[in-house]
Amino acid sequence: MSVIEVRQLAKSFWIPSAKRETVREHVLHFYRPRSFERLDVLRSVSFDVGAGETIGIMGRNGSGKSTLLKILCGIYQADSGSLRVRAPVTPILELGLGWNPELDGVDNVMLIGTAMGLRLREARESLDEILTFAGLERFAGMPLKHYSSGMAARLAYSIAFKAVRDILVLDEIFAVGDQEFRARCETRYRELNAAGHTVVLVSHEPRVISTFCDRALLLEGGAIVLDASGAEVVTEYGRRLSAG
Amino acid sequence: MRPATAPTVSNFDIWGMLWTLVRTDFKSRYHATIGGFVWALLKPALMFVVLMSVFSLIFASTPHYRLNLIVGLFLWDFFGEATKTGLTSLQAKGFLLSKARFPSWILVVASLSNAAITLCVFVVTFLAYLAAVGRAPGAAGLALFLLYLTLFSLIVSGFSLGSSVLFLRYRDLNQVWDVIAQAGFFIAPIIYPLDIIPERYHIYLYLWPPTPVIQFSRAVLIDGGFPTFKAHVLLVIMAAAVFAGGAAIFRAYSPNAAEHL
Repeated sequence: MSVIEVRQLAKSFWIPSAKRETVREHVLHFYRPRSFERLDVLRSVSFDVGAGETIGIMGRNGSGKSTLLKILCGIYQADSGSLRVRAPVTPILELGLGWNPELDGVDNVMLIGTAMGLRLREARESLDEILTFAGLERFAGMPLKHYSSGMAARLAYSIAFKAVRDILVLDEIFAVGDQEFRARCETRYRELNAAGHTVVLVSHEPRVISTFCDRALLLEGGAIVLDASGAEVVTEYGRRLSAG
Repeated sequence: MRPATAPTVSNFDIWGMLWTLVRTDFKSRYHATIGGFVWALLKPALMFVVLMSVFSLIFASTPHYRLNLIVGLFLWDFFGEATKTGLTSLQAKGFLLSKARFPSWILVVASLSNAAITLCVFVVTFLAYLAAVGRAPGAAGLALFLLYLTLFSLIVSGFSLGSSVLFLRYRDLNQVWDVIAQAGFFIAPIIYPLDIIPERYHIYLYLWPPTPVIQFSRAVLIDGGFPTFKAHVLLVIMAAAVFAGGAAIFRAYSPNAAEHL
């Protein structure tokens, strides 16, 4: 049975010839008509993801991968088409979550953890485990503004791996932290996979797609041009990249 | 074609996230120190003491006026502070909105907490003062005052819900609101008694939500009178209308909020 069912999903952004983002601009220029350029980011995308399946998404920059992930997670709304997601989704997008820089690691874990769907008690009980996984126990009381970007990303991944419910949506996983942390992420990822979690993951790394994915989609210009095994999609992606 | 539906947020710990947001907002505002925490609670109480001392000198012959003034100032402070933070609440927590899926109204409601805490401390201090000087309101007066505070919170929440999503589209809405609030301070009878305005204009002043809340609160806390039943019905209708309007705007625009961050 499909846990994600996507049918003819489309999404466009309307780019105005002149930006009007303030009340003042709208009032002063209301008599000046604006033209809009339509940017079709996703065009009639359809696919299914089965329970426990790992599906990879590859594509050049601007091919619509991130927009698709955000729609799957409910952060963006599609213009048309249908989307059925039959289980809770835990997203890890754009190299982890943002942070409140004034708060320390512990408070940020509580804040991000509850936003990602952990119950307050679960977040409290998982605190040590999350910090240990990120290798940041010593820095738990330090404000996030003093963390390096790598440390903050490690913390985000640790929270998300703990918060994962049924479906995990990952953007460029395994591109964060040092070799040791990546290995820890891969191990955790395999555990989740073995436990039957469904995973949708975007990556530019051929090794990630061919190693971890049962199946992959190749996106180009907002449309799926290939829905095949990870190895086949990697080969086709490489061929298209070298062809320019 | 069937419109796309977003995945549902099931079994989400709303209270857990709300509590975490309120706690961390409070903590970052007061720098997570015990002194900061104590100061946050003492500040409104000390402000009350300062204002009472100053007004006792300036308005020594009109004790009612100084109490009315203090009630008006604190209720206005709640309105001004809460609407200001509510308006920018989604933008301020955009880092969460663009990366995770949760009921986004939680961010708006949590943003009102600091103003609400200040108001609560003031209410306790003020009631303690009234009790100490032998002017404690009766149970009915107290119940009505709590009703007004509830309706005021509903008005502020409605405004904040609506304005928070509009602010993502109109980035100077906070400046526009600053000007309106500045004018609103003088529209509401805070520093002047309503009686000095010709009665035929009162209806217009009562259309500004803080006016009935301030006037009714003064009536039950200080003057010992009760507004009419009709006046209460009108206040309830106003609060319901503002909340419903704000909630409708929020419902219409919040699904696309992340796209405007």
